[in-house]
Amino acid sequence: MSYELIAMLMFSSMMLLLLTGQRVFGAIGFVASAAALLLWGDGGSEMAFSAAMKLMKWYPLLTLPLFVYMGYMLSESKIADDLYRMFHVWMGPLNGGLAIGTILLMVAVSAMNGLSVAGMAIGASIALPELLRRGYDKIMVTGVIQAGSSLGILVPPSVVLVLYGMIARQPVSQLWLAGAIPGLMMAGMFIAYIVIRCWMQPSLGPSLTKEERAEITWEEKISLLKAGILPLFIFFSMTGLFLMGVTSLVESSAVGATAATLAALVKRRLTAEVMEEVLRKTLGISCMFMWIILAALCFGAVFDGLGAVRAIESFFVDRLGLGPWEILILMQLSFILMGMFLDDTAMLVIVAPLYVPLVKMLGFDLVWYGVLYTITCQIAYMTPPFGYNLFLMRAMAPPEVTLSDIYRSIGPFVLVMTLALILVMIFPDIAMWLPNQFYGR
Amino acid sequence: MPRAIRLYVAYVEKMNRFIGRFAMYLIFAMLGVLLYSSLSKAVFLPSLWTLETAQFLMVAYYLLGGGYSMQLGDHVRMDLLYTNWRPRTRSLVDSITVLFLIFYLCLLLYGGYSSTAYAIQYNEQSYSAWAPYMAPVKIVMTFGVLLMLLQAIATLFKDIAAVRGEEL
Repeated sequence: MSYELIAMLMFSSMMLLLLTGQRVFGAIGFVASAAALLLWGDGGSEMAFSAAMKLMKWYPLLTLPLFVYMGYMLSESKIADDLYRMFHVWMGPLNGGLAIGTILLMVAVSAMNGLSVAGMAIGASIALPELLRRGYDKIMVTGVIQAGSSLGILVPPSVVLVLYGMIARQPVSQLWLAGAIPGLMMAGMFIAYIVIRCWMQPSLGPSLTKEERAEITWEEKISLLKAGILPLFIFFSMTGLFLMGVTSLVESSAVGATAATLAALVKRRLTAEVMEEVLRKTLGISCMFMWIILAALCFGAVFDGLGAVRAIESFFVDRLGLGPWEILILMQLSFILMGMFLDDTAMLVIVAPLYVPLVKMLGFDLVWYGVLYTITCQIAYMTPPFGYNLFLMRAMAPPEVTLSDIYRSIGPFVLVMTLALILVMIFPDIAMWLPNQFYGR
Repeated sequence: MPRAIRLYVAYVEKMNRFIGRFAMYLIFAMLGVLLYSSLSKAVFLPSLWTLETAQFLMVAYYLLGGGYSMQLGDHVRMDLLYTNWRPRTRSLVDSITVLFLIFYLCLLLYGGYSSTAYAIQYNEQSYSAWAPYMAPVKIVMTFGVLLMLLQAIATLFKDIAAVRGEEL
């Protein structure tokens, strides 16, 4: 059997096993370890555990449990409540203003945390009930929260870019800087979408009434701005110190986690129950991600042994005879398609090592590609049938938001994200300007 | 279900809960080590041992916590079809497909065992300036995999029981 055929067979059996609803790490791990055993006999029997040793050496992954911890700490500690109130008061008079405020809140949360979990938890627990109570269209606001929280992996800090940095061997500091402007641009595009949509159909997002606005004094408006101090402090202590070179990457995530804990302490929210919740959820989510990465690393190692990189290279370059840009576009398309059906974290670990050498060979900048890659991940996280944000949304949303609401809500936002992806592709400077300025590349 | 199986499930779950809850607090150890590392860099010479210690802690964290996280049902599934099935159908399918998971864990355990045996026999040390012995961490890792395997078997028993309309 040719190696290409084996690779295809592995992919399809993984897909089949995933469809049965077995735990994702089990499905991937089984296909990988069984294939290794069949291909290389005794020599392949230790591949599953070698992946565990490799994972240990990927020490930047230490940031993952710490960011998860920090995310839950931020959402449990309710620092975001004041922040939400601030955006609420300032943006309220506009049509759709609270939805815009929610996007801004998500940007602030994204700047404090590298995963979309925190934004999702905060959005679903604080913003969503309030928006629904105000008569906002539930499909639109569900989409707003999903799209907004997905910024968590693009705006620095970002765990996805840490993972990418390990695979592509690129400095995380440059990757994070490269994600900053595209992230803000995407937030701006979401806001533009909401403004246009609510201007055409004001019933989707009613503004605050005159009486409500009259109740809010300027003094209150100004004093609410103080809510921004704590998030700024957290952002600086983590990302700021890291970019200044004071702390290393993993150290900065520890500093950030400590800052979040201190913030909860200051807000007198650090009770025994909160701590228990945070610790248990952190363990659960970290274990889920780590075991998937463990299994996916084994899968990737088998693919590597099969020479899949060269196979893909020759497929795109020799057999299809395409130019660099066509290949790049095809790769992104295939990535979005696969991301819909396969587990997204596993895709990161399995597909990135296959694509990155090809991107490099085609002469593209790997830092820039990291941004494209992250945006693609954001889209994959949101698109059914398989997406973490969808899972989380289903688990956290109030009961009146049904599954079909969630599915229908993401459409326009996925289009906006695709547009952002295309813009970054056509104008690489959107991503590269900031790191170039900072590091004088 | 036979008494032996009931006892097995009860004991495994209890043990995994206990060890998992211990692992849960390892995150503070990671935090502590990394904070010490960033402080020590600022005040005196950077220490050699912090990074590797943090790595070891991370590995222990997710491997020792694995069984407990499975017990809590934290591992995602692709639920395109799964959510639409009746609970009994889910248990039935799970009781078959969990065998694949058990197969994977067995291979992990085998690899862990041989790697640990190697580390003990040759006093394997890490390739770093600090050069710690690798055997202890490998023993912890293999033990973590074993815990996960025991939990997976307990899950299998629970699924079979659910198919038969019992509860364990």
